[in-house]
Amino acid sequence: MKKIHILGIIIIAVAIGAIFTTLNNTSTYASFSEAAKEPDSEFHVVGKLNKDSASVYEPKVDANLFSFYMVDNKGTQCKVVLHKNKPQDFERSEQIVLIGKMTGNEFQASDILMKCPSKYNDGKPTASN
Amino acid sequence: MEYIGEHLWVGKVGNVFVILSFVFALLASISYFFSAQEKESASSWKRIARVSFRIHGLSVIGIVVSLFIMLMNHYFEYEYVWHHSNKEMPIRYILSCFWEGQEGSFLLWTFWHVVIGIILQRSAKNWEAPVMTIISLVQAFLASMLLGIFVFEHRIGSNPFAVLLREHPDFSKIPLFSDPHYLEKLDGRGLNPLLQNYWMTIHPPTLFLGFALTVVPFAYAIAGLWKKQFNEWIKPALPWTFLGVAVLGVGVLMGGAWAYEALSFGGFWAWDPVENASLVPWLTLVGTAHLLLINKQKGQSLITAFFLAILTFILILYSTFLTRSGILGETSVHAFTDLGMSGQLLIYLFFFLLLGLFLMAKNWKYFPKQTEEEGIWSREFWMFVGAIVLLVSSFQIMFYTSMPVWNKLFSLNKAPAKDLISFYNNWQLPFAFITTLLIGVGQYFKYKDTDIKAFGKKMSLSLFISFALTFFMIYILQFHNNYYSLLLFSSIFAAVANADYMIRVMKGKVKKSGASIAHIGFGLVLLGALISTSKKDIISQNTSGKSIESLGKDFSNNDNILLTQGDTLPMGNYLVTYKGKRQEGINVYYDVDYFTKGKTGALTKEFTLSPLVQTNPKMGNIAEPDTRHFLTYDVYTHVTYADLESINQKKEATADEYTAAKNYTLKKGDTIFSSNAIIIYDSLSTNFDKTPYHLDEKDIAVKAYIRVLDITKKYEATPVYVIHNSAVQPISSKIDELGLQFMFWQIDPTKGTIQISLQEKKSNVRDFIVMQAMVFPYINILWMGCIIMALGTLLAIWERIKKSK
Repeated sequence: MKKIHILGIIIIAVAIGAIFTTLNNTSTYASFSEAAKEPDSEFHVVGKLNKDSASVYEPKVDANLFSFYMVDNKGTQCKVVLHKNKPQDFERSEQIVLIGKMTGNEFQASDILMKCPSKYNDGKPTASN
Repeated sequence: MEYIGEHLWVGKVGNVFVILSFVFALLASISYFFSAQEKESASSWKRIARVSFRIHGLSVIGIVVSLFIMLMNHYFEYEYVWHHSNKEMPIRYILSCFWEGQEGSFLLWTFWHVVIGIILQRSAKNWEAPVMTIISLVQAFLASMLLGIFVFEHRIGSNPFAVLLREHPDFSKIPLFSDPHYLEKLDGRGLNPLLQNYWMTIHPPTLFLGFALTVVPFAYAIAGLWKKQFNEWIKPALPWTFLGVAVLGVGVLMGGAWAYEALSFGGFWAWDPVENASLVPWLTLVGTAHLLLINKQKGQSLITAFFLAILTFILILYSTFLTRSGILGETSVHAFTDLGMSGQLLIYLFFFLLLGLFLMAKNWKYFPKQTEEEGIWSREFWMFVGAIVLLVSSFQIMFYTSMPVWNKLFSLNKAPAKDLISFYNNWQLPFAFITTLLIGVGQYFKYKDTDIKAFGKKMSLSLFISFALTFFMIYILQFHNNYYSLLLFSSIFAAVANADYMIRVMKGKVKKSGASIAHIGFGLVLLGALISTSKKDIISQNTSGKSIESLGKDFSNNDNILLTQGDTLPMGNYLVTYKGKRQEGINVYYDVDYFTKGKTGALTKEFTLSPLVQTNPKMGNIAEPDTRHFLTYDVYTHVTYADLESINQKKEATADEYTAAKNYTLKKGDTIFSSNAIIIYDSLSTNFDKTPYHLDEKDIAVKAYIRVLDITKKYEATPVYVIHNSAVQPISSKIDELGLQFMFWQIDPTKGTIQISLQEKKSNVRDFIVMQAMVFPYINILWMGCIIMALGTLLAIWERIKKSK
């Protein structure tokens, strides 16, 4: 067997490994009710902030604790506890992606991604002055 | 309706240039094609082709100039100008506005191709016709991205000159446009404030020049296949390929430097899809460049060289598709929105991919057969292995980055892993380890075969120094991760071995050591990246005392510190004080002083950092970090939360006003906090001297005794609960020194609780911020390595061009 063949086999093995771990090292987009079925797994939940319910952030008590209510894409509302600071511009967010687990009736989120379309696309021509 | 003050002539001129640039790129490609098929060199086809490409080039410059005129003069009647600029913007950001949009960035890319094409016209000699056929064809495709015309109801390209704001489908019904004088009142939407810095002026042109340079090895490879000159294309393509390596490498790291300086994700590299999209073609380009070197020296690894040269350019197109099609969605912070051109991009991608694969398949049987196998101790074998390692590494990055594409293709529902960065780091570390080892030994191997004893002798000094340095670094950095220690060693070894090669083998001749210098640079880049990332220290800790760990191990996130104005708190090796905020334009700066404590306990002010929050009513609030650079480490800070509401309110609060009352239900012994004191409810009494309160005899009165402690003194507040004619009429108690006022509202005898309310003077309530701070050790090694790598590569190219003349 030529060296080039050995090299080829190693490459293919590594490439298959890359594909395999890629597919394993992912989380899944889910709704709150789906996340509740598997409380030990990490999920991405996409939804919108419920602006009518209270969101609580008391940085003087704990700067890394923020809670609010989110409605997922299937319409289920759930209390979310985010273990981070309240993101700047939180109220303006149009869409929220939470990363975390369901614990009891609360979704314990370790990270949050927000989409603020205003940042790039919003704004219509208006008369100044 | 007649609109007043519009400048429609610029758009018309620009539009003519757009059409000319497309038509003449196509014409140049066709005539270069026929010229390449002819035997004679200076035929009439060639003359037509040359002139066509020059007209194409002039048209592109015409487009650029027209767009500049529109931006400089604020012609907001054009959607592109309105979308990307406004009147307030300083003139130095005009360039940034120019390429903020997709159309502008395609234009920038096209412009660099024109520059490269003009140079090739003069220097490529026999290769001019076939190579320029390909480049002109690429140009025709790129120029079509600006056409903005409809063919069978499909729009081709997006034309910044043809879209008027008042005709834009989203805005056409706005009442503003029923006014013929609308332009006088109109201001642009403005450039995203995040992009208003000098990086946006220098990063895109560098990166796009890097992208543009990958077309040269691609065009040469295709030309080589087409003209069946399988080895001859390598020599002229080589310097261009290395130039691409230098420029694209700098461009990619510049993006990292920008992210580090202006974005607040806390680092220079986040494996964001957009970052990966430019890193991966760089990796394959480096692979291509080294395979071309092998082939030039030994005529081997030809097929792989062809494959990688073609793949690199395809990857550039694929990256463009990923970042421009909107497919990345929420996985990336800075993907462009879809302009409806992704289908067009995919067509180009598959066209050039199939062209390359078809030509390779067609010529497969003609490829010169490799008669002997590379020796195991030959330089070419290990260079080949290195190139393959880079290819596999880029495959891993690209496969994972393409997750949204797989989701779409196979209707999957996969989201990226939570700890994306360490996932990539763990995968890429072995590749980086092998690559740096190979970089270290590479030049000590000779082509064909190496005397292994002499090799070992030559290597021993570098190995010894590298081991010593590694152990020293492990000791001073307290490096406990064995996995990382391997890369620490190998990247030190890469730098040391090449420095040794330069000094002992090349006898210190700098001019001839371009390759060694570039390799030293690469070793340092990885070393700096490794140390600054793995030993990154978040020094801002949650000092509230409330345990977050109780909620579960995964959720410990003590990364933020709360700073109240005036207080001094310990943070890392420093004591920090939040002094206050100041507003400059749309930026709000938060000044934080850093002190160190001397032996006597006296505080010495070291420096001030002013992380900022940019407030833009149109685009939202964006935090930007502030970093203090030292030789061996950086202190990096950014504001994660600040009360921005109070900035917008006018300062009406006078010193005597009280805040809204806060109600508390307390049992005996309960403690509450005001912003300046600790408050403890001690006891109740009905038996007290009632004379100062002017009470009626029938009134029921209960006095509460409340202890109030601040840092220096103890106070007492005694609000009284009074029922007068069966109505509650409490008597307040004030502590003027602390600006506190207490009211006693209710007694609940069954629960043993009372309800009191507390008000504070507005002057009491101090501003606060929540901040994150981290120390990046030795990050300067990374930036230094980047500069050394680029300079070394440029030096090597320079020497090669000089030699070939």
